Amino acid sequence: MAVTLTKRRFTVDEYHRMAEVGILTEKDRVELIDGEIVEMTAISSRHASVVKRLNALLTGRLGARAIVSVQDPVQLSKASEPQPDVVLLRPTPDFYAGGHPEPVDTLLLIEVADTSLPYDRGVKLPRYAAAGVIEVWIVDIAGDAVEVYRTPVPDGYRDVVRILRGGSLSPVAFPDLTLGVDEILGPR
Amino acid sequence: MAVALTKRRFTVDEYHRMAEAGILRDDDRVELIDGEIVEMTPIGFPHARCVIYLTEVFVRRLEGRAVVSPQGPLAIEGATQLQPDLVLLRPPLVRLPSAADALLVVEAADTSLERDRGVKLPRYAGAGVPEVWIVDFAGEAVEVYRVPSSDDYRNVVRVLRGGSLSPVAFPDLTLDVDEILGPRQA
Repeated sequence: MAVTLTKRRFTVDEYHRMAEVGILTEKDRVELIDGEIVEMTAISSRHASVVKRLNALLTGRLGARAIVSVQDPVQLSKASEPQPDVVLLRPTPDFYAGGHPEPVDTLLLIEVADTSLPYDRGVKLPRYAAAGVIEVWIVDIAGDAVEVYRTPVPDGYRDVVRILRGGSLSPVAFPDLTLGVDEILGPR
Repeated sequence: MAVALTKRRFTVDEYHRMAEAGILRDDDRVELIDGEIVEMTPIGFPHARCVIYLTEVFVRRLEGRAVVSPQGPLAIEGATQLQPDLVLLRPPLVRLPSAADALLVVEAADTSLERDRGVKLPRYAGAGVPEVWIVDFAGEAVEVYRVPSSDDYRNVVRVLRGGSLSPVAFPDLTLDVDEILGPRQA
């Protein structure tokens, strides 16, 4: 019998408290999505290599113009704190020691998707849009493409472009930075 | 788009630490079901009256023979801790009650019938709770579940208004379905 149970949802503060008192530990690979504590999918070596590539490319080419955040939390709202694969953050002198970055600090957010494509597109993307994250890239490893989402509206992005191998793209925040899709995906 | 997310599930121990740390508070009406923290449905008048009535009768008639626990916790296993509407426990009470201490569980189901039957009942059976009564206000009956198997009860009887029933553990105590259900709802 299918019975719908209403889950007790948690705020970001309650979620942090769980970590402070040791209920959630370093071993927990979780995100807070709309008050629910969700397990993250296992990272394949292919996925990890794309994240490393992005980190190297962005750090190398942007230098001090942005902080490159890899798989660290972004506090989207009172009830969501995901850990995107890569985020370009507005530089601050304390490197966000005083609190996790918020959407206003987020210049570009990148999710690398191998098995997580439906989750990244269906669950995370609408929440990034609702929080006002100005630009999201989803690296579709299986599809050999990078999807670019811009102009957030309350439940999605108005401008969506899919760029295939051979193509290149630039973040809105750094129009002078151009990355090739092949550079991001690496060799086939 | 429907995407299945894997929730982080919690143990009974972690659940208790959330209360100690003030993450879950007194005003949280929740249960832990298979590691998920689930909100309980609000309590309406027929439900409240039924639990108060049964508490009174059981306390009066079973003095020294059973501990009456209305809306208290009952540990089921590592990741489930339910809060039945009423439990008769084997005395004396020396620790957090678990299924092994339960003589009878009563669930008053006004809005929660499907959840009581579909979610909680199999867990009571699996944990070996010997007898469960589900008070079905809409159906004007009390369902009696006995002889637990791994996820269900072998022996199920539905007693309607006009009928009466006794707990297996206390055959000398007979209750009328009319008294349990209270006045007919408009």
